[in-house]
Formats: sequence, structure tokens, C-alpha cells
Amino acid sequence: MTITNVASEVIGSVWKVEMKVGDAVKTGDTIMILESMKMEIPVEAPVDGTLAELKVQPEESVDEDQVLCTIES
Amino acid sequence: MSEDAIPETLEDHLKLLRAREDVARQMGGKEKIARREAAGLMNARSRLDALLDPGSFSENGLLGVSTVFDEDREKTPADGKVAGFGLIDNRMVGVVSNDFTVKGASSSVTNMKKIGHIKRTATDRGFPLIFLGESSGARMPDNMGSEGMGTMLGNDPHQYARVRETPWVSAVLGQCFGSSAWYSCLADFTVMRKGAVFAVASPALASLAIGQKVEPEDLGGWKLHSEETGLVDRVVDTDEEALAEIRKFLSYMPSHNGETPPLAPVPEGSDKEAEKITKILPDSRKRGYDVRKIINCIVDLESFFEFKPRFGRTAVTGLGRLDGGVVGIVANNPIAKAGALDVAGCEKVTRFLVMCDSFNIPIVMLVDTPGFVIGIEGEKKKAPGKIMNFMTALQMCTVPKLSVIMRKSYGQAYLNMGGGRNSDSVAAWPTAEVSFMDPQYATEVVTWGREVSDEEKQAIRDEMERNSTYLGLAQIFAAQNVIAPQDTRRYLIEELKIQQLRRTRGIGRHNLANWPTTF
Repeated sequence: MTITNVASEVIGSVWKVEMKVGDAVKTGDTIMILESMKMEIPVEAPVDGTLAELKVQPEESVDEDQVLCTIES
Repeated sequence: MSEDAIPETLEDHLKLLRAREDVARQMGGKEKIARREAAGLMNARSRLDALLDPGSFSENGLLGVSTVFDEDREKTPADGKVAGFGLIDNRMVGVVSNDFTVKGASSSVTNMKKIGHIKRTATDRGFPLIFLGESSGARMPDNMGSEGMGTMLGNDPHQYARVRETPWVSAVLGQCFGSSAWYSCLADFTVMRKGAVFAVASPALASLAIGQKVEPEDLGGWKLHSEETGLVDRVVDTDEEALAEIRKFLSYMPSHNGETPPLAPVPEGSDKEAEKITKILPDSRKRGYDVRKIINCIVDLESFFEFKPRFGRTAVTGLGRLDGGVVGIVANNPIAKAGALDVAGCEKVTRFLVMCDSFNIPIVMLVDTPGFVIGIEGEKKKAPGKIMNFMTALQMCTVPKLSVIMRKSYGQAYLNMGGGRNSDSVAAWPTAEVSFMDPQYATEVVTWGREVSDEEKQAIRDEMERNSTYLGLAQIFAAQNVIAPQDTRRYLIEELKIQQLRRTRGIGRHNLANWPTTF
């Protein structure tokens, strides 16, 4: 069992969360969408697995490299 | 037979020679080699076996030893640096493999002569030079005192004069201080194994100097160099992977600056992949995407070899192939800071342009940037200087330069990414938007200090957006072509045929060849 941290590429805020804990994810699936510099930045799963933990909520501010969620695979 | 006795017959001469060679090949002794093996580390000679085509290594200086102190003659097989020539994919390379089991592969009089010989030969005869780094720095006490310094250092005025006549590669495979660190900076491509350390001096010496404990990973670990300094191009987990990365890098490079990069067969399915672009490009202009997915659709299948993927992520740089020929890709990545170029992104692109210009590699720029990152942090890091470095490099490049405006191209970044005659040919996608500033901010600027209703502002903004499309570029011939995204691969292949440097058989003027190696 491996836990993969999914981190933010940008400083911004969470706009939409598209999945919920326990969902099966495939590499490249959009887990959530951030908003930064008037752009919507999708956060994609880097690995196949199950969404184990969501560490942020919509409208929450996030920093670059902040862990947004974890995937168990 | 005594070591000192001179043999009388040829047979005895040869027997003694073989015995001496065998000792030299033992490196620092079975015990030290076994300890490395147990720790999963290759040694200087097994690394060469894995790097070079089988049986191709021709060693120089096998019997070299340190003669500074008599007692070191027996303790310094090959003087700690295994050097010679060999083949990679049947092409000649020069190699220096540091043997840490012999006095920490420290630099000494004899082994520096070996390095000098390999370097001179590779440069004069036109083939790449590879350093397998793992060394503790200059040998002590040999270089202590004024006489030591005068003997050891400063005897080669060209030692660090990087003129990029042939590709240089460095692998950071252990502790790399002193020369192993210097060559890692001078190389065109540097790969680092996780767990290795790359710094000016050792953590122990640093701790001694500043009086506090310095952790090796903090001082010169893979995270520091792949994410913050950008001095390392790729990071791997094992020695074997590092050596495979060197072979892969060199497969894209010419042997020297007087030839073009080698061609390769085009993998089946490459054209089919190009059609997938439309599925990756989001419909909304506000939606980000990872430009590497677009690049992978454009280049020959699985040919994209990215440089510094963790550093300056607003820009993507890497080598790839188009119809079998090598190109250097420079792209904005909207997934990082919306593709707005920051200081690290500028440094990364500048260094990449220097390499492409030096080795006759045409440049393809894929543009989707709202401009340069503005703000205090960037200004503190000399953002204007970095932007101009990038711009100067681009204008001085004499290899073919093609630019494709995918979506946004704003302000000065329009010029840095090849617009305004800063590339040989510009193509725009129908989704291109070009202006001095994003219409949203521009509306605020032109209405500053005036009483303007929201409706009027919206009307100004709508008008600006209408005037920012590909059509304006096409109508005044600021873009030479307007193409569908899925035709980009085909377009680039055809345009590269037009733009090739026929009069010099593909060889550029290498204006950037003697630029610094760090920006």
C-alpha cells in the first residue's frame, strides 16, 4: 500500500472539488480545480488508486506545494 | 621477483606488467568494493561497464599513481580516477569515472593530467565528454601550502573555459565536492542519483566553518538541486538509471558542434497521436492544462526528454524528435502559475537556448502565457535582468526558431516566446489571443481616474478581446500561418524543412557557445 501526496502547483484557492473520499481515481483524472491568476487549474491524479483523504475545502486558500489530497494505491 | 628488479626477458616484463595492471584494476581493494556493493552502489569500473558499449573501453593511465609522497605510490591505483575512451551506441566518447575507494577520488597531480588529456582529446577530436562524479575535492595534504597550490592548481588556463565545442555530461553519483561539483555545473546535462550530495564543500567542513550541524540533503541534496537551484537536469533512484539517462541524452546530441544531431526512425503511431491535441486543449480559455501532454502529441512518439521538470515549472524545456530530427522544445505550462514566466522559468529557458544554439538544434516554442510574473519576489531576484538574458539569448540564436501561439501571448513575453520576428516563422492556433496586457487588467488601466460604469467597462473589455484574436496577427502578417491544433505536428515538420540551414549544412554560428553555464 502506497500513499501518494498530491500537491498544489500554484498559490490560489480551491474552486471546485470534483471527487469524494473513497472514489476510485485513474492517472490524469481531475480531482479538483483551483483558481489562480484568473485561471482554472485542474489538479490531476498522478497515480491510479483510491482518494484517501481530502485536505482542503472549496474557497480555501492554498500555497504552492501544499498537499491537497492523498491517494492510496 | 622483486618489484624493483628490472626483468631480463620480455616474458618477465609482460608478467610484471600484467601483475601491475591487475593491482591497478583492484581499485581501493576488495573490502571497500564489497562494502559499496552491499550498499547497492556501483564502483568506478562497473559504472563504465554499464555506461559504454560492451568491450569498448580503452583505458588511459591505468598505471598512473600519486607520486607526491612515496608511500602513496602503492595506495593510489589509477590515482583514483579511471579515464579513457569508449563507445556509446557506436559513437566515441571520453570518460572520467571517479573511484571513491582511492583517497575519495580526490584531485591530484597525476589524475588531473589524466582528466586534461581526455578533455583535450574529446574537444580536439570532436566527441562528448562524460564525468561520473563522486569525489571529495582536492587531495590533502598534497595541495597544502603555497608550493602545494602552485603544483596542484592553476596549471591549465582552459580548465574551466566552457566553450561548448562538444557535449559535456555529468553524473552526480555520490559525494561531489570540488571538481565533481564544478564539472556538474559546466556540463550540458547533469543527472543526479537520490542520496548523492553536490556542493562546494562537504557537510563536515561546512559544519566546522559555521559552527552548526549541516545536513547533507540540505547542503546539496537532490531536492535542493532539482527544485531550487536547477543545477541538476534529471533525478534518478539508482546508478544504473543515471547511466541509462546519459546514454539517452547523448542519443539526441551531435558528437560535436560541427555536425547536426543524429536522425532516428519515426515510431509508428506518431502521426495518430497528434490528433489527440483537441481532446487535451480545454474549451474554456480560463482552464489550465499540462502542456507536456500537448508536447507528447506533437513530437515523435515517446521522444520527449524533459530537462529540469521540477525547476521553473512555468516553463517546460526538453529535447524531442520531429520526423526523426532533433528539436528543442520551449513551452509555457499553464498548469503552473497559469504559465506566467517567473525568474526560475527564465533561467531554465535561457540555459536551454544556449545548449540548442551551441549544438545545432532547432527550437520550437509553444506559447500560452499571460506574461511574466510580476511582484516583489521576482524583482528581488532580478526579474528584469533574467527576462533580458532570455531575450538576448533568443535573438542571438542562429538555429531555426519556430513559434506556435496556442493561446495567450501577452506583453514582453510575446517577444520572448518568438513573436515580433523573434522566430523564423510564427503560426497561430484559432484560439490564440495576443495583446499587450490581459483585457481584464487593461480595462482597469485605460479607465483609471475616470468615472466609468460597469457596463462601459465591459464594453471596453469586449472590444479589446475582439481585437486580440489570431485574425489581427494573420491580417498584418505577424503570423505566417494559422493552423488547427491537430495539424501542428505536420506544420512543424514541413516548416523545419523550409527553415533548415542549407548554406551551412545545418550548422549555426554558435553565438551562445561561450555563455556562462549558470544564470
